[in-house]
Amino acid sequence: MVDTTVMQAKQLPVKKRHPKLEDYSHTFRLLLKNKLALVGMIITTFYFIIAFLDLVFPRYLGVTNASNLLSFSIPTAVTPIGPSFSHGLPGLLGYTEFYSHQYPLLTISLAAIKFDIGYSLFIVLIGAGIGTVIGAIAGFKGGYIDEILMRITDVFFSIPFLILALAFIFLLGRYIIMAVYALLIVWWPTYARLARGQALYIKSMKYVEAATASGASTVRNVFSHVLPNVLSPVFVQISLDLGSIMQLFAVLFYLGVISDPYFPELGNIISLGQNWLGAGLWWPVIIPGIFILLFTVSINLLGDGLRDVLDPKLRR
Amino acid sequence: MELRYFIIRRLLLLIPTLLGLVLLVFFLLRMFPDTYLVARFVNPKSPVPISVQYANAKAALGLNYPIFIQYFFYLKALFTGQWGTMSTSIYTGSVLKGIELYFPATIQLALFATILSIVIAIPLGTYIGARPNSVADQTGRVFSLAFYAMPVFLLGLLLQLLFGQNVIAGNPLGVLPIAGKFSFNAVGAIPPPWFDPSTGLTGPTHLPLFDALIHGDWKLAYSSFIYLILPVVTLTLSLLAAILRFIRAGMVDASNQEYVKTARSKGVPESLVIKRHVRKNALIPTVTVLGLLFAGLLGGVVVVETVFNYYGMGILALNAVINVAIYGVLGTTFVFGVTLMAANLIVDIAYAFIDPRIRY
Amino acid sequence: MVEEQQEEIKTKNNGEEYLRVENLVTRFFTSKGIVKALDGVTLAVKKGEIFGLVGESGCGKSVTATSIMDLIPDPPGRIISGSIYIDNYNILNDLPKLARINVKSETDVRVKRNKRLIKRHNFVISKIRGRKIAMIFQEPSLALNPVISIGKQISENILLHNRVEIANSIIRRESLTQEDVRNFYNEIRDTKGDFRPLVNKWTRQYAVPVAEDEIVNILKSGADSALTLKELTEVIMGKKRGNELTHITTMRDYYKREEELFELTLKLVEAESKNEVNNAAVLEQQIEYLSYSLKKDFSSFIWKRRLLGKRFEVVFEEEARRRGIELLTLVNIAEPGRVYDAYPHELSGGMQQRAMIAMAIASNPMMLIADEPTTALDVTTQAQILDLIRDLNKVTGTSVLFITHDLAVIAEMCERLGVMYAGNLVEEGPASELFNNPLHPYTTGLLSSIPRADVKSRNEIKLESIPGSVPNLISPPTGCRFHPRCKFKMDICAEKKPALVEVQKNHKVACFLYSKEVVN
Repeated sequence: MVDTTVMQAKQLPVKKRHPKLEDYSHTFRLLLKNKLALVGMIITTFYFIIAFLDLVFPRYLGVTNASNLLSFSIPTAVTPIGPSFSHGLPGLLGYTEFYSHQYPLLTISLAAIKFDIGYSLFIVLIGAGIGTVIGAIAGFKGGYIDEILMRITDVFFSIPFLILALAFIFLLGRYIIMAVYALLIVWWPTYARLARGQALYIKSMKYVEAATASGASTVRNVFSHVLPNVLSPVFVQISLDLGSIMQLFAVLFYLGVISDPYFPELGNIISLGQNWLGAGLWWPVIIPGIFILLFTVSINLLGDGLRDVLDPKLRR
Repeated sequence: MELRYFIIRRLLLLIPTLLGLVLLVFFLLRMFPDTYLVARFVNPKSPVPISVQYANAKAALGLNYPIFIQYFFYLKALFTGQWGTMSTSIYTGSVLKGIELYFPATIQLALFATILSIVIAIPLGTYIGARPNSVADQTGRVFSLAFYAMPVFLLGLLLQLLFGQNVIAGNPLGVLPIAGKFSFNAVGAIPPPWFDPSTGLTGPTHLPLFDALIHGDWKLAYSSFIYLILPVVTLTLSLLAAILRFIRAGMVDASNQEYVKTARSKGVPESLVIKRHVRKNALIPTVTVLGLLFAGLLGGVVVVETVFNYYGMGILALNAVINVAIYGVLGTTFVFGVTLMAANLIVDIAYAFIDPRIRY
Repeated sequence: MVEEQQEEIKTKNNGEEYLRVENLVTRFFTSKGIVKALDGVTLAVKKGEIFGLVGESGCGKSVTATSIMDLIPDPPGRIISGSIYIDNYNILNDLPKLARINVKSETDVRVKRNKRLIKRHNFVISKIRGRKIAMIFQEPSLALNPVISIGKQISENILLHNRVEIANSIIRRESLTQEDVRNFYNEIRDTKGDFRPLVNKWTRQYAVPVAEDEIVNILKSGADSALTLKELTEVIMGKKRGNELTHITTMRDYYKREEELFELTLKLVEAESKNEVNNAAVLEQQIEYLSYSLKKDFSSFIWKRRLLGKRFEVVFEEEARRRGIELLTLVNIAEPGRVYDAYPHELSGGMQQRAMIAMAIASNPMMLIADEPTTALDVTTQAQILDLIRDLNKVTGTSVLFITHDLAVIAEMCERLGVMYAGNLVEEGPASELFNNPLHPYTTGLLSSIPRADVKSRNEIKLESIPGSVPNLISPPTGCRFHPRCKFKMDICAEKKPALVEVQKNHKVACFLYSKEVVN
């Protein structure tokens, strides 16, 4: 009694859609079409190149290591010199005072980018890794494991991130590496929740039911079905969080919670440059500020673009 | 009505979350070695042997009991107001008293920023979201992204640079004070009895603006208001940017829904389609993230207090961390947690109010 | 009685067309290319008939419906050309002026929109939607706004289109005199036979239908005329609300003037499309003057409405609520009062679809587009909804454009039938004729793919499906779009597109097997 051609179309078996290479290339092409995302991607890539060069071939940037920054400093001047062309490339963006020495803002900011990006990447990737696996397993397994996880994440979400980070830094010690651990502890629940939600959804799909029915173990299921499908939202979240973590890291330095005073970090540089604000010197604050802003804006543009492209609803 | 039951249920759900919060704070406390906790009670000059003193203090603090009994002790102490004492560079004394003195400034900043952001974001977001990809939309997106991505301290410093009094010589915009809660010139030679010159705090609310208004001191009220502008604007801009992004996304998403088509098919004029059918649905996803945004805002308040020297609980917490005042850290963390819980409660009720589906 | 009414409507309308679509072309500009969704669709729906539109999914049935409502989401879609006459007015009159489309390549299309004209177009079309033509959607759970109560969604429609009428009936009610009641009573005494229709009509006219039952009871009780008249007067006068009439009168006048503005705009658009420059200029002046005077004369009213908002319209909303509940009763919803205040998620799918129908007919449109209204429902509910639509068609004479992929439903519901394939109407004719004597190879294939016991197929062919599938509409086959799947393919099929021509009486088909007429 029903139009069978239509019925046939509707009863086609739901095919398991593992992300394929051509999928990624189509995604990438769509991403290239989004001009804002493209700009974000270019600038972000540029930052990563700088960080990479600074780490591996520091000589190309004229820096060998953080302590060598001293060779660029001018200890004599009292007030930092403003941006000008007369001091060569390093002096292009002006100087700032950094613990009784003057450093070229360009050099010190580039050095700081390496640390900022390195640590943010470390925090986000490890946090995402731990959180995603825990969340995926909990969501897939369900039951009391899931319940416990949700209660734990509830508690973590009941305290503002910054306050929680402060508390953990207090507990662990006021060092950079401890701040990294603290941010890790603060950040993994975000991914756990994300992955859990996704896992719950995937669990209800027919192909996973089929796999379970044919005797696939939980671990196998999680790794072969859930994780690949969780990946794209996690990836978007990573790109968005990279900016947030960098901000938070800079904030912790700015607040003076981390007591490694000689560490070149953008928040630290701004915090010290702030002392010159009263004297009307803007560059010690604005120049490193622009370095942070540019990174966070472009990574957000990239993240937004990725989300638009990966969201099947918006993908045309 | 069903809404009432929803609220009661939601209030009951607060209990486990609160216990969880206490557990976390308790966990922070117990991670410290016993020696550290009892150090205050050990006096090396006393004739009593140190080991005995140590044992006594340990017994007095209840550290010999099993851990869960200790948890209940801690719970009891927390709810009977025994929050310990702290000694920092800005405040020394009972933690509870310190929070009472400094918390109002924090909540004042947070509330002002929240209200202002919401009041501005809803009409602005509606306007922008109804015209995706227009000039207004593109401008709005660029600005909201910039403010959203900018660290709060940077935004604060930028505003100080642009509008701060005596920051840049000859800046015609530089008219706003950049640090403190009010000008001491506004107080007068003989300070009123409700003003404590040593701490710079006023009574009874500890908020200079409201205290001055209560006591009818217009000069101080004006001064306090002027000093509030930059910190509040900083927080508002960063929160507004985030809310705007969500409202815009919500508007775009909602306008593609089937029920909007239905509304148009009924002949509802375009302006009413946006106001009646799209906006309310667009606010739902925004409301769900409002709790998360408020958590970010509370972090922002800590930073803004530091940037503008606006003494509040954020600075108190920071000082407690820097001066290793453990009970100070625990107390402020707990209060920040409770504040966020209260905010989440309000958000959930607002959610139920907007979305009838959630009430069941 | 229903049959009588239907007969009456049939003879009165006598095949007059209410909706006529001509050469409708709709496209979607996507990142993968231009989807040629509709490729010159021509169809007509007569007054009071149920016209069925069938085809596989993705053949453009829904796009046709959405295009008729002018609801194609832009971007990505646009109606490119064609005309859609609703009640003899072409809603696409100003189409060429609304936007300039610059096709650079399949994936790069620039659309330059004229915002001012689009605004005017939207104003005109919003007055046509709802009151002349309404739509029922496939998925009621998605088509109802989840955060607005059912009642609000229905009364919104009533308030949008019937304000003047509501205001008039309230004014009549409030200015009722004993004289009026006496006249009414005399009239009833004079009628022979059943007086109920008269009571019904009168109570509606004077916005006192709450008194209908009471009046009927009083009249039935058969007391002497003086006493009856006294009782009647008491009951009817008791229904007055004592509303401030000046307010309502101002409102009525305001909305009346707005209607005039709409009529003028309609004329202007028509004049412009016919290039009557002088006429258009005069009309434009009139519109300008009218909108100016509207703002001036009613400035205090506009401000009050802005300030008081909803409170200003309480009287109207009360009346709208009453009518809304009546509509819900009409679509067979039990406990209409409760449902009126319920939210969509509290109702079952069938109830939601009934509410949807109530909403669609709230402003008495003469045409209803039903886009697969029963697909999302279970079988028993399906039958009830179909009955409801059929009853509505019979009782009120509303034309229905019924879209479905379910041929069984079509056979049950429709008088005439159109078959769509890949954005074209390929065959059109009376339902019985099409089922017994399908001409187009696609229709033949479609019919032979259904197991049927009641109708004998012409060629006694076995149950089979059409080979292949609906083509990709970004790069559709040239000529006749069905030719790659067609058993009777000829050389011409791939080159030219066949026109829809009448090959037998009332039976049109677009196929070269039957005619050599060509479209392009």
